[in-house]
Amino acid sequence: MISFDFEYFKPESIDEAIKTFSSEWKLGKKVVYFSGGTEIITFSRGGKLTVDTVIDLKGIPECKVLEIQGDRLIIGAAVTLNQLIESNLFPLLSETTRRIADHTSRNKITIGGNLMSQLGYREGLLPLLVADAVVTVANQTKIEEIPIEKFSGSELKEGAFLTQIKVPVSNLKLPSKSIKRTRTSKVGYPIVSLAALVHEGKIRVAFSGINSLPFRSTVIESILNDKKMSDQQRIDKAITKLPSTITDDLLASKGFRQYTFGKMLIELNSVLEEKL
Amino acid sequence: MQKEFRKTVGTAEQRIDAVEKSTGNVKYLGDKLITGMLHAKVATSTEAHARIKSIDTNEAWKVPGVRAIVTGDTFPFPIGPILADRPPIAFDKVRYYGEPVAIIVADYPYQAKQAASKIVVKYEKLPVVNSVEQAFQEDAPIIHEQLGQYTKIIDNVYPVPGTNIASHIKIRKGQFGQAWATCKDTITATYSFNLSDHAAMETRSATVEINPDGRVIVHSTSQSPFTIKKILNQFFNIEVGKVIVHIPMLGGAFGGKGAVQLEPLAYLASSAVGGKLVKLQYEREEDMMTAPCHIGFNATVKLGVNEEGKLLAGQYTFLIEAGAYSDQAAGITRAAALDCTGPYHIPNVWCDSYCMYTNHPYATSFRGYGHPELTFAIERTMDQLAKQLNVDPIEFRLLNAIKPGHSTPTQSVLTENNIGDTAKCMIRAKELIEWNGNQTTVTENGKIRAKGVSLFWKTSTTSTNAQAGAVLLFEPDGTVKLSCAAVEIGQGTKTILAQIAAERLKMNMKDIHVTMEVNTQYNPHQWRTVASSTTFLAGNAVLAAADDAIRQLKKIGAVALQCSENDLEVGNSRVYLRSKPTYGIDIKTICLGYKYPNGHTVGGQIIGTGVHVQRQLTEMDKDTGFGDPGPWWSVGAQAVEIEWDEQNYTYEILKAITVMDGGTIINPMTATQQMRGGIFLGLSIASGESFEFNDKGVIQNPDFRTYQLMRFGEQPKEYIVEFVETPNEDGPFGARGIGEYGVIGAASALANSLSSATKTELNKLPLTPELIWQTREVGQ
Repeated sequence: MISFDFEYFKPESIDEAIKTFSSEWKLGKKVVYFSGGTEIITFSRGGKLTVDTVIDLKGIPECKVLEIQGDRLIIGAAVTLNQLIESNLFPLLSETTRRIADHTSRNKITIGGNLMSQLGYREGLLPLLVADAVVTVANQTKIEEIPIEKFSGSELKEGAFLTQIKVPVSNLKLPSKSIKRTRTSKVGYPIVSLAALVHEGKIRVAFSGINSLPFRSTVIESILNDKKMSDQQRIDKAITKLPSTITDDLLASKGFRQYTFGKMLIELNSVLEEKL
Repeated sequence: MQKEFRKTVGTAEQRIDAVEKSTGNVKYLGDKLITGMLHAKVATSTEAHARIKSIDTNEAWKVPGVRAIVTGDTFPFPIGPILADRPPIAFDKVRYYGEPVAIIVADYPYQAKQAASKIVVKYEKLPVVNSVEQAFQEDAPIIHEQLGQYTKIIDNVYPVPGTNIASHIKIRKGQFGQAWATCKDTITATYSFNLSDHAAMETRSATVEINPDGRVIVHSTSQSPFTIKKILNQFFNIEVGKVIVHIPMLGGAFGGKGAVQLEPLAYLASSAVGGKLVKLQYEREEDMMTAPCHIGFNATVKLGVNEEGKLLAGQYTFLIEAGAYSDQAAGITRAAALDCTGPYHIPNVWCDSYCMYTNHPYATSFRGYGHPELTFAIERTMDQLAKQLNVDPIEFRLLNAIKPGHSTPTQSVLTENNIGDTAKCMIRAKELIEWNGNQTTVTENGKIRAKGVSLFWKTSTTSTNAQAGAVLLFEPDGTVKLSCAAVEIGQGTKTILAQIAAERLKMNMKDIHVTMEVNTQYNPHQWRTVASSTTFLAGNAVLAAADDAIRQLKKIGAVALQCSENDLEVGNSRVYLRSKPTYGIDIKTICLGYKYPNGHTVGGQIIGTGVHVQRQLTEMDKDTGFGDPGPWWSVGAQAVEIEWDEQNYTYEILKAITVMDGGTIINPMTATQQMRGGIFLGLSIASGESFEFNDKGVIQNPDFRTYQLMRFGEQPKEYIVEFVETPNEDGPFGARGIGEYGVIGAASALANSLSSATKTELNKLPLTPELIWQTREVGQ
């Protein structure tokens, strides 16, 4: 149960959403955009979040698109994970998002919500990072396309929201692999999760769980693609090049994360080797 | 016992609540909203151990719709089922994070919740006792300063003032010290795990209304309707007859709804608003942090054998983590002691079972009542000792299995009748798991397959006067209404009782209508729906009621048929002459009285009544444990096969086998499902469930985002359940209790299989890949 009062809007266009945000925000209210709502609802019930205004984006046609247009796959931010999985237009994205939460939750969770998650896992981001995706973001003045790396590395401006994700069709069916390890149950946050594909003979890989935020690192990729080194050498070197310190929390200790990370790289290597 | 033809006992009848539940039509207590109902919410402690300096309710009162705010000083008296040590609302001190410090009553739930967040409590922090091991240390901070002054509600609870020991139960059988000295081989090992959650699908809730005439009407998701009456009488001084308790069907319980926590809170809330109907319904997070949970456990087991490998001596030190208050953990401490050996014959036994306070949420009964926990310790020790002796772990178990003629740790003598066939269960489980002498195998893809087994036993430690009653009321059409206070918690008890009634009355199942909800105003007394005791107690009561009804039917039948009662039989909804079955009369024409052709009527409604009370149980001696605490011991064997990935430390459970001696099985399908549910629960606890605390004693995983249960699809690929049926003369049609048993050996069988696969002794739970990795790689 959410105990506080809040205003709820469900605009039918991007413009209306932006205007609603702006007018509510000017009244000094705390405004959030809302898609599947799983995080906002559970955080609000648990007392971790209070808001004055909620703007539901599920009424906006652009956010509901799921189709190939020309040379790009367009995914609306309000498309649910189960819609994505069932369409299977981007197999690596299906494979990765299938391991987010449980089936019932995936009926609600949207790809946009997952990319904007406050929890720091955002596993839906991983296939997009390795597939040269771009996202479109609407703000007060315009709708702009942003490369996925830039989007993943920075916060959106106040009032801006994600409308669509675009993936080059040429990258949708490349050889790929998603691997995820959890504390116990298959359903759970990742200790380490990775999504990888082979692009022009090189492995591209993005990670979640091992650091506080998901990332794709060209340094780590070049190490992994360096055939001069043995598996163990590559792993040892890759670990030293992680963008930040390895997460140490209730899901897993730093030591076990590091161990798991190494084993996953070996597994990835053996799976993708034949595809290289 | 001769096998006789049976009408329904032994048949897989469909559960009588199946249609209602599978169509989603059942209304649970949380579904019920009544106009004018007020809603309560608890404000809870943000400290695990602190003195309450002040409680400021000013801001909370400003929330619209707030009708009352109740704090601990309204009722500063401790209550409890065994040792009265817990004020319903914290008073003076808080002893766990999440403990109620105030109740807010408002027009709507959200208002009450809003107000609860605005209660400001000033605390003086006290050092937190954050583990059972810490609690046991001599210089540990004291959680209950008044331990010596608490009222004992039952015998057999022995607090040690000046310590954190809420109860110390001792078993002294034979001469442990002397025997230990003569043992050829010995082993000592320690085991531990944290508190965890019951995780029933339905969270706990209660409503209370106090009528102007003083009647207190309670609706609750409880396994203990008559205990609610008792507690409201004992501690709140309400006449027993004025407390009316309704229990609808429950959405799972697992022992967690045996405790009485919400009802006194809702009573205080209703009192504060002039007796108006008040509902208190826990959200999931509250159900996990504020409501009572599953015990934590630490055990040190020492076993010694002679030359032949026969167990001579066993010493057991159990630290049962009760958390902040003793509740049922004090009873579990006793139950764990009296069955401390597991199903093994050990002549010399020394057990110290301690109920320990910590600054964690308090624990109550959990399916198995101490036995899954002690079995984990015993069965792991048996495996390790077998390895040390270089004998097959199953042969070692069979050599030492308990049987008639032996005695239990409390020196209860076992007979053919009061214990099942342990060895037979073990041998069958061995066949089913295709035991290959504890050998592991490697699969084509490099994974390691291993098997683990566990024996288990348990008696039901009810109170010595535990009882159940049943009433059979005949309807005008000759069908029967069965009234009893057994609570339907998903275990299928109502179906079983209907089968027992139908069998004895020789009627069709469809003609028995069982009251699904419990109402203490109409249903006869029943101790509680816990301890796997309902088939035994309520089932026997139903038999007695059926016999009573049959006597009455024969009496009125004799009038109608103009013969002696002794010549009559009852069956197929008729009363008829034994020697000429075609000469008889339908029950429907006599069950509301027999009407002569001239209209004169004799007799009246047939109402069969019956009760069953435990026979000749005794309390345990304070110094030795000597006594007869339980009516029978059900036994069984479980086995698990796993496939472990040596690279990433994950594992899959391939097979789970349960072979149990449940005496006569009334309904093979519900019994099988109950065993499956049990082992699922046990494997879930063993593989992932555990409350994690930070250094301030705060649960870090109080929701299903973070508290990991085994999910649908992760259950064993194959579940095999079989029964050995050694009849129990005292049970209805020879049945024993089986409700809790499926859970008992699950953790130990899993841990044994994983220890075998990993060649590492795994003595902690939950068995996460990381725990195995830590033990194997880092521990070495």
